[in-house]
Amino acid sequence: MAFFRRLRVIGVLAAITVLAAACASLPADSSWGSTSLFDSKILLAFSDHVVEVDPSNGLALKSHDASGTVRNDDTGKALDWLTQVNANNVTYHFYTHPVQTDDKTLIAAAYENKLFQIDLNSSVVADTTGITVPGNVVGDPLLTDKFLYVPLSNAGVVALDRSKLASPPVWTFDADGNKGVWAQPLVSADGSTLYVASMDHNLYALDAATGNQKWKAPVDLEGAVASTPVFNADKTALYVGSFGNKVFKISPDDGSIIAQYSTNNWVWGSPTVVGDMVYATDLSGYVYALQDTGSALKEVWAQKVANGAIRMSPYVSGDTIVVGSADQNVYWLSAKDGSTTFSRPTQGQVLANILPIPASGSITEPIIIVSTIAPSQQLVAFTLTKGTSLWAYPSS
Amino acid sequence: MDFILNPFVTLLTFLYSVFNHDMVLAIVVFTVLIRLLTFPLTAQQQRSSAAMQQLQPEMKKLQERYKNDREKLAQEQMRLYREYGINPLGGCLPLIIQFPIFIALYEAIIHALATTPLQLLDLSGRLLVPGLSTVVPMDNMWLGMNLSLAPNFASGSILPILLPVLVVATTWLQFRVTMPPPAPPNADGKQDQAQAMSQSMGTIMPLMYGFFALSFSVGLSIYFIASNTIGIIQYALMGKADFRRAFGLKPKPTDKPAVKLESRTSKTTKVSSNGKEKPTQKADKAKE
Repeated sequence: MAFFRRLRVIGVLAAITVLAAACASLPADSSWGSTSLFDSKILLAFSDHVVEVDPSNGLALKSHDASGTVRNDDTGKALDWLTQVNANNVTYHFYTHPVQTDDKTLIAAAYENKLFQIDLNSSVVADTTGITVPGNVVGDPLLTDKFLYVPLSNAGVVALDRSKLASPPVWTFDADGNKGVWAQPLVSADGSTLYVASMDHNLYALDAATGNQKWKAPVDLEGAVASTPVFNADKTALYVGSFGNKVFKISPDDGSIIAQYSTNNWVWGSPTVVGDMVYATDLSGYVYALQDTGSALKEVWAQKVANGAIRMSPYVSGDTIVVGSADQNVYWLSAKDGSTTFSRPTQGQVLANILPIPASGSITEPIIIVSTIAPSQQLVAFTLTKGTSLWAYPSS
Repeated sequence: MDFILNPFVTLLTFLYSVFNHDMVLAIVVFTVLIRLLTFPLTAQQQRSSAAMQQLQPEMKKLQERYKNDREKLAQEQMRLYREYGINPLGGCLPLIIQFPIFIALYEAIIHALATTPLQLLDLSGRLLVPGLSTVVPMDNMWLGMNLSLAPNFASGSILPILLPVLVVATTWLQFRVTMPPPAPPNADGKQDQAQAMSQSMGTIMPLMYGFFALSFSVGLSIYFIASNTIGIIQYALMGKADFRRAFGLKPKPTDKPAVKLESRTSKTTKVSSNGKEKPTQKADKAKE
């Protein structure tokens, strides 16, 4: 009897252990998808895969061999252009969109410290060992003529020679306190300066060739900076938001703060600049229209649009602003006063930036591609003007 | 869960900001605060366990007397508990309350030390004090280990192995130190069932926590070690820790009762650590 009671205790404790282990293995590694337009095709990096989608119908494009023939699986079914990497018991995750390094190769950066070379035609990764980088990748890498700059979320930035990616980095830049860089770096028009927004509250200007620090914004930006700074049209000012509930206008020459504006919550998405107007979003669901008067960022309007966080940069087209929210809606706003014209529901939180696609070929009017974090609706296409839903990927 | 998780995340972040951005120190101080807050429950658990242990002779008599009448046995057991003012769930309740705290702390560490975009986004909605966002993201590295991840044995360092070992050792020691003295064996020489189960728990629990330390974040191991150590110190400060017995050595001789059981009806009974009853005449004298 005592033996069975003891067995029961062991059973209960074992059950708790298994439950706890199940909790421990819950996905703690997730992010939103990242979209880009490549050769008139949508490239989506989402969780553990990269896929190519046809913007006209939302169907996955097919994988081809070097001769251009569609590749089939063992049953004769055509293979999708889809990349997944599982190697050495690790499933790799892609939070950033791939970049094209030559006419045959895409580079996809995985969160788990790796870069993978993907064959452009077939989507096959030839070497699943990958190229190791000294940190996790959350922000999009930046490709220039000479370098591939990779931001590392727990380190800084590494510059790789784009023609010899597997070689040791040309230079490495560590931000203060190893807080990391979560945003894609920005390169100046002449390619000489790299602007790096860091989670250590600072904006850095580096020599793009050597990584030497040119300047660091002399005033703490009052919070982590997780978004890429953006230039105004004449490249005389940089705009960036911070977790210190602020939008800053900064001189690209010396990093001095020219103007700032207080928001209601963290600013995660990059501001969008149209002429002298700066549009920004925050995590309390607000959208802001600020006029750059030269020495100030003057509020034109501030509207509470969504009930959830707005993480993305606002997409502005003429008089229309489109934003997506963690409340699983996409909102069309009037650029004049921020009032909501209409909204469309989605199946998941909308956190990634919107990908606009102009009218071309079979796409008869401009469309926007929205990425949600729901695996069942990784992409949704809407018409820009009326918000008509065209297709979703994967199709239901 | 948010009603407990958000204050935990906020408190952990606040301690991190106060203690020079040292997350390990923040977890240790957080543990001290939790142990202080739950001290009344811990003390009640100890009292309940000891009292239940010492009522075993009485319980055995009842079991013998009513072995064929389970309903009557249950009634008599409840009467006995009432008589001595013991809540039979008093030993379990604090443990049940500890479990959500442990789960919430695990979640709090993961959320506070956000390492992925969605975790960081989630953190933004959990900080109840606005100014705390200036310390985000928090430094999650400690002695080469990521506090938000399970120990990484591939690093080649001894620390990922040492931490689970320390968790097992301190859990074992705390269990041994806080376990009530063993009741005398039955007339047939067999060990009491409850005591046998306690001993099983004493073996399994440290191993289970060791497994948790291997599976969960390094930060949680810090919590386990700190919590166990504080528990041992608390018990020692209460004057009830017998480290000799914990290590299987002969216990210190003492006349001091493990717990003073007072009947609410007729008599006062002191039960010494060896489980023998010492009825006093106080109540009877009062009657005379």
